[in-house]
Amino acid sequence: MTVTEEQRQENPLTVGLPLSRRPEPCAMVIFGASGDLTKRKLFPALYSLAVRELLPEHFAVVGVARTEESDEAFRERMKAAVQEFGRDEFRDDVWERLADGIRYVTADFMDTETFFSRAAKVLTALDKERGIPGNRIGYLAVPPDVIEPIVEGIGTRPSKGGWTRVIVEKPFGHDLASATELNDVLHKYFEESQIYRIDHYLGKETVQNMLALRFANGIFEPLWNRLIIDHVQITVAESIGIEGRAGYYEKAGAIRDIFQNHLLQLVALTAMEPPIDFTSDSVRNEKVKVLKSISTPGPRDVVRGQYGRGYVEGEEVPGYREEPGVDPNSMTETYVAAKLFVDNWRWAGTPFYVRTGKRLARRETTIAIEFKKAPHPPFEELAAEGLRPNVLLINIQPDEGVSLAIGAKVPGQGLQIRTVHMDFLYGGAFRTDMPEAYERLLLDCMRGDSTLFTREDEVVEQWQLVDAIVAAWQRDRPSFPNYAAGTWGPPTADEILQRDGRAWRRH
Amino acid sequence: MAKTLTSVSEIERKLAALRLDEERGARQRTSVMTHIAWVPEEWVEAAEDVLTGLAERHPSRTIVLFPLSGDGGLEGDVDVELFGRGAGRGVCTDTIRIRLHGTSAAHPASVVEPLLIPDLPVFLRWRGLPSFGDSAFEELVDTVDRLIIDSTEWPGLPAPYGDLGKVFDRVAVSDIAWARTSRWRSMLASLWPQIAELRKIKVTGTLAQAHLLAGWLRSRLERKIEMEHEPADKLVGVELDGEPAPFPSGDPPRPADLLSDELDKLDRDPIYEGAVRAAVT
Repeated sequence: MTVTEEQRQENPLTVGLPLSRRPEPCAMVIFGASGDLTKRKLFPALYSLAVRELLPEHFAVVGVARTEESDEAFRERMKAAVQEFGRDEFRDDVWERLADGIRYVTADFMDTETFFSRAAKVLTALDKERGIPGNRIGYLAVPPDVIEPIVEGIGTRPSKGGWTRVIVEKPFGHDLASATELNDVLHKYFEESQIYRIDHYLGKETVQNMLALRFANGIFEPLWNRLIIDHVQITVAESIGIEGRAGYYEKAGAIRDIFQNHLLQLVALTAMEPPIDFTSDSVRNEKVKVLKSISTPGPRDVVRGQYGRGYVEGEEVPGYREEPGVDPNSMTETYVAAKLFVDNWRWAGTPFYVRTGKRLARRETTIAIEFKKAPHPPFEELAAEGLRPNVLLINIQPDEGVSLAIGAKVPGQGLQIRTVHMDFLYGGAFRTDMPEAYERLLLDCMRGDSTLFTREDEVVEQWQLVDAIVAAWQRDRPSFPNYAAGTWGPPTADEILQRDGRAWRRH
Repeated sequence: MAKTLTSVSEIERKLAALRLDEERGARQRTSVMTHIAWVPEEWVEAAEDVLTGLAERHPSRTIVLFPLSGDGGLEGDVDVELFGRGAGRGVCTDTIRIRLHGTSAAHPASVVEPLLIPDLPVFLRWRGLPSFGDSAFEELVDTVDRLIIDSTEWPGLPAPYGDLGKVFDRVAVSDIAWARTSRWRSMLASLWPQIAELRKIKVTGTLAQAHLLAGWLRSRLERKIEMEHEPADKLVGVELDGEPAPFPSGDPPRPADLLSDELDKLDRDPIYEGAVRAAVT
């Protein structure tokens, strides 16, 4: 029997087999490989992918940084990092396989000629040695001032055959003008589909669960609008300080560090319309519509703060201005709260109260959907004293899960109502380990799926809002510090809600 | 050991009491399914091994049924296991062990039905060769959404595959012996199109694996394929028309993961069903 062309194309044996989820062979070049991110996040993520056999069969990593280091020393340092920060048990055989493809190139990013010819040699040799057809991922974990020469270096020396993708770490610019400039630099050499702007919040399982919760359940979506929902509260609270990153944080502040990206992305995911499908452009089209409809809040509806000395977990901690490297008169904000409105048909008149800050009382990222009160509770006034409105609380971290506050009768005589919680604990129902955000995002990029990355127009909208808020800040000089470390932020942030007869959620 | 429970309502009361036990701290119950295990005497030890760790990954209500001879009646006991989830929070899952005597062993569905968690899928792990046609097996098959077997445990292959084929329209079936061939099937699929003209396969492994691989190739390639079997306790080699096939890459699945992976599946597997039907011919 001879095999026809048709049979050649349709292999009957592959039907029903688990699809190979392994991406095509590629080499990943990490620019800024001596930094903390590479050590704490990128290598532990690559190792976890290797443990689960999700990396491409033919794979290589080239670390690039200014520091002088040999291949061997770099490998040893990354091995120690995986052992310290990895979530999986360390296995020598898995590490050896990964380490085999690890190289290090010392580079002065400003002297692109010397550096790129050196890097090209290493990559060509790796391609040949490991059977990689020239596919490249450039991971830009570098300060903004060196991004341009690197992008130009990659862009003007495309690999022969194979695709090229670039992952850009935050901060993506520091205002609209710089972000546009950065986009222009990237677009000079790359199509939008080759650019992956990372916002690691989108790689978190619970953030993606927001999409499942809203669009896989028939019961929530009919309630998800201004008629049923009273308001939304989104909190991204950190208990840590600036962790020695004064140089970056002094320029960024809370508004650029968290508000511009993570917080606005959470608003977009909460408020977006159902996408027609889950392809990357459909999802991002809907998100960008939300970002476009957020109106600039008035000055009374934005509060900024800076922490002073205080207590966190029983230990006294210094105020922001006392942190090493921080200007003793710094006016950088470490806290932002705002009342936002999404001006569209679904959300008109429904406030989104958002806040983020450092050195707050505890680490917590939550989205709380507070529903309108029952229109006419037929109970005596005293009976319903302890009754609060229904709240759907989405816990992004810690205690990942969803809980719904409902009123229930207190057992016994009479009819006393109290608020109780129905909890769904994410890790309780699915007891497999949750992948780290970077694992998901690195793998998505290798597969060419950009759904969970930020598109150019989203970044532009996010900066437009931030620029408008920051412009208003130029006009006054708040008296900083205005909240003690270990508290929930400045009292003026409470006033935003008090004026509306509401309050921040109790913790 | 606690007092033996002798009725379903006693078991239910005990479950409720355990869940409210203040000393055990958190009382949140999270379940994704009910898992029934039918464990004849000779499989008791092996079954306990598999159960250990299963609830950790698949929080469920597990009902282990031990069929015994005798007049009738049941003896049950209940465990609530707690898994820590950080300070002050935990998840508990229930394990109910019931020894069924005489008539209750012949009609287990009436015992199990009241104990199923509503609205969630029900899985039945049947240890050993099912007693096809007996009331116990027939009743349980109609109660559950998925039957999980390991045909490696079956004597007299391939004849029992004929009986198994008759339940496919009533319940979705998972076979752990089939799951163990997954790596090899991927490797064999990579030999397309040369493999399209295969005439004979020799399998060094368990008899179940040999029959299932041969059945799979027959049903997918739609041709007669002769099978030769070389006994081994696991799948270690395949020859195609006398030529050894390459060894598949990657590690074999860990035994603990095999059952767990089957519990993630909810739909019928037509490829497996085809392989079983063709294994008998």
